[in-house]
Amino acid sequence: MPLLQVENLGVSFRSTPVVHDVSFTVDKARTLGIVGESGSGKSMSLLAATGLLGPGAVVNGRTLFDGTDLVTASPRHLRSIRGRDIGFVFQDPSSNLHPLVPIGRQIGEALTAHHRLDRKTVRRRVIELLDEVGIPRAQERLDDHPVHFSGGMRQRVMIAIALANNPQLVIADEPTTALDATVQASILALLRRLQQDHGMALVLVSHDLAVVSELADDVVVMRSGRVVESGPVDRVYNAPTHSYTVELLEPLAQPVAAPAGPRPERPELVRIENLTKGFRISRKEHRPVLWDIDLRIGEGEIVGLVGESGSGKSTLSRIVTGLDVADTGTVSFRGTSYVASGKRRPVVDPQVRRSIQMVFQDPYGSLNPRRKIAQILAAPFELSTDLPGPQIRRRVGELLESVGLPGDFVDRYPVQLSGGQRQRVAIARALALDPALVVADEPVSALDKTTARQIVELLRSLRDERGTSLLFVSHDLGVVSALCDRVAVLHDGVIVEQGYTDEVFADPAHDYTRTLLGAVPGSTRKETVDA
Amino acid sequence: MPDLWTEPAGVDTLTDTPPRNGRRLFAALVEDRSARLGLGTIVLVVLAALAAPLVAALVGHGATEQFRETALDASGIPIGLSSGFWLGADGEGRDVLVRTLYGTQISLLVGIPATTLAMVIGTIIGVASGLAGGIFDRVTGQVIDMVLSFPFVVTALSLLALNRGADGRPVVSPIVVVVVIIAAFTWTYFARLSRGLTVTLRSCPFVDAAVTLGAGRRWILFREVLPNVLPVIVVYWAVQLPASIVAEATLSFLGVGIQAPTPSLGNMIADAQRTSLYQVQPWYLLGPAIALFVIVLGFNAFSSGLRNVLDPKGR
Repeated sequence: MPLLQVENLGVSFRSTPVVHDVSFTVDKARTLGIVGESGSGKSMSLLAATGLLGPGAVVNGRTLFDGTDLVTASPRHLRSIRGRDIGFVFQDPSSNLHPLVPIGRQIGEALTAHHRLDRKTVRRRVIELLDEVGIPRAQERLDDHPVHFSGGMRQRVMIAIALANNPQLVIADEPTTALDATVQASILALLRRLQQDHGMALVLVSHDLAVVSELADDVVVMRSGRVVESGPVDRVYNAPTHSYTVELLEPLAQPVAAPAGPRPERPELVRIENLTKGFRISRKEHRPVLWDIDLRIGEGEIVGLVGESGSGKSTLSRIVTGLDVADTGTVSFRGTSYVASGKRRPVVDPQVRRSIQMVFQDPYGSLNPRRKIAQILAAPFELSTDLPGPQIRRRVGELLESVGLPGDFVDRYPVQLSGGQRQRVAIARALALDPALVVADEPVSALDKTTARQIVELLRSLRDERGTSLLFVSHDLGVVSALCDRVAVLHDGVIVEQGYTDEVFADPAHDYTRTLLGAVPGSTRKETVDA
Repeated sequence: MPDLWTEPAGVDTLTDTPPRNGRRLFAALVEDRSARLGLGTIVLVVLAALAAPLVAALVGHGATEQFRETALDASGIPIGLSSGFWLGADGEGRDVLVRTLYGTQISLLVGIPATTLAMVIGTIIGVASGLAGGIFDRVTGQVIDMVLSFPFVVTALSLLALNRGADGRPVVSPIVVVVVIIAAFTWTYFARLSRGLTVTLRSCPFVDAAVTLGAGRRWILFREVLPNVLPVIVVYWAVQLPASIVAEATLSFLGVGIQAPTPSLGNMIADAQRTSLYQVQPWYLLGPAIALFVIVLGFNAFSSGLRNVLDPKGR
């Protein structure tokens, strides 16, 4: 008999169905992966299945866990099961841990909620758990608050809470999405080890099929509240039957074979020399963010800038765009320095300013919500040209067309556009003045995979058709390797390695690059399913 | 729990737009239940206030005329509801209905200019300090904290006490003084709100995008920041208005706002309470109290409806 059996589960809010007819089973000591994009109903299904949805939701179907139907079980009964027989790990460890309670007590509460235990026993067990999830010096760290732990360490604390009562089933909902690649790899390794050591069942929810494929035995693919495909992970991964699964598995960008012969000589467009930047935290403390950066971007070249959060990628791109000032060093555009260091506000020559444009990560924040698309796209012309109104309208129409949006979008407000459409408008705005360089700071990380792929292709076509150079800032090595001519690896504010992308990725010279490459999910996929 | 608060799949929530022109704004307001209720109440209140002279002419009682013969009984107790005095009379034999209507007029005449003045001053200072940052921002922050730390009633009492000439009569019209005092205390809320909004907006990517396109301060202020600040401020105006009306009533209640015999809702409530005559003539108190309640309710409902309608994220 399966441990968890979900049958024909449906969820609706105010008579709008959001999850339709979802069924899956989880056997003892097995791992089930649930994959789908945001809004596909994967979290909703799990919350409904475990009775965690609020009174606004109407849930149909059955969820049998160890013989109990969780959909109809009383709240009291559910409370006794949750945390004891089923453990939960959620996406964002910073908002799921109480900030004012020491972590030792938070783990202890998970124990005392279900068992009568004396303080010594609780303490001993908490230390055991912290050891088990790999928190060093567990004994000393019991009384530390969540703020003293990094994101990855907090997620380990969450896992310790989930494990506290030796549950039969652990549900991990996007457990690594908020974490950097190298941390993600270590958390996945931890989950895999714990699952094997304890022989518990695991449900792993993720938007990333590669992440799921590292741990899962079986996988369920969801889209728009329905299951579109399910089966053993090897079968789904190697021979997907549904077109949507195929799409999920495709890489974000297809590499283009390098032309034979010597690499093209590209004249220099932007050069960054000896650049440093720090922020003053207090009167005494000065935290360096970028240290001795040297980088050059050629005409018509796509340069990738990779690094984890906090490595200084965004600061560097803001300095290149003239939004921030460096402390020392120079940035020059076609041989002329344009970012004066050490000033409070950047002063940039208007000619250079319009030649360097930026595409931002957040498609929701990069368009003014109170202005129509027509007004947003007319702004560059109004600011930098003397074109009369009708001509501007014509150019706006052309811009929309060039990024593949219909012309009647001019009358819309940003709220009426999807994330991908907004990002296209943002790209159109950046292109309006025909810039020589576009700086794209994580332009696809907030988008669904299908949309992200289209945006990456759009950016590539800019270079191919207009000869625009691109500084592509990303944490996604897959896209970078397919898209970029050269790559620079940023680690703790220092460029540890740079070179032609294929060479760097084939034979990384720096340890950190190797760690990054090894942390790409899917690289340590479960190869065989034990019979 | 990543998916819970995103839009449910397949549900098109992207059809609502923030209304821009007047007619569409009005249509949207009429459609919102709370705004409709509030707007209706406000219209009634304004009409009632405007109708004060008409009612006075109709019943033949002025706001400050005393009718000791007809409105007070032999022992000087005011009469209750009657065909001559629709809401009865007060302790001086004056018509409560007429006085309530004139009092409503005063409330609006004080509340609306006071709140508007506060809004204009507060928004200019708030947006300026949010955009300028640095020393200017820190100094205004301190000034706001200082203003907020003054106790409203005590400060107002002492300021109003200064407004007396040698003959004991006010130097400046008390209405003007009350308006200025209320505005002097209320602008800080507008300043804080608009400063906070401006600081958030200034670091928004769309402002950065405007900078990379070569936008100057004027463009950023008028095209990027103000269009996002003003709708919130306008809603807050409607939130703050009832508070200003209550502030006027408080000052008049304490005897330093609108001076007797001119009626205001505040000094009428104070009179009723001081003489305890409401125990025999409840409408002496209920008339102005209900009027105050309806005004506050109307503007509160309107402000919450306005917020729904102006929010670009839709309902």
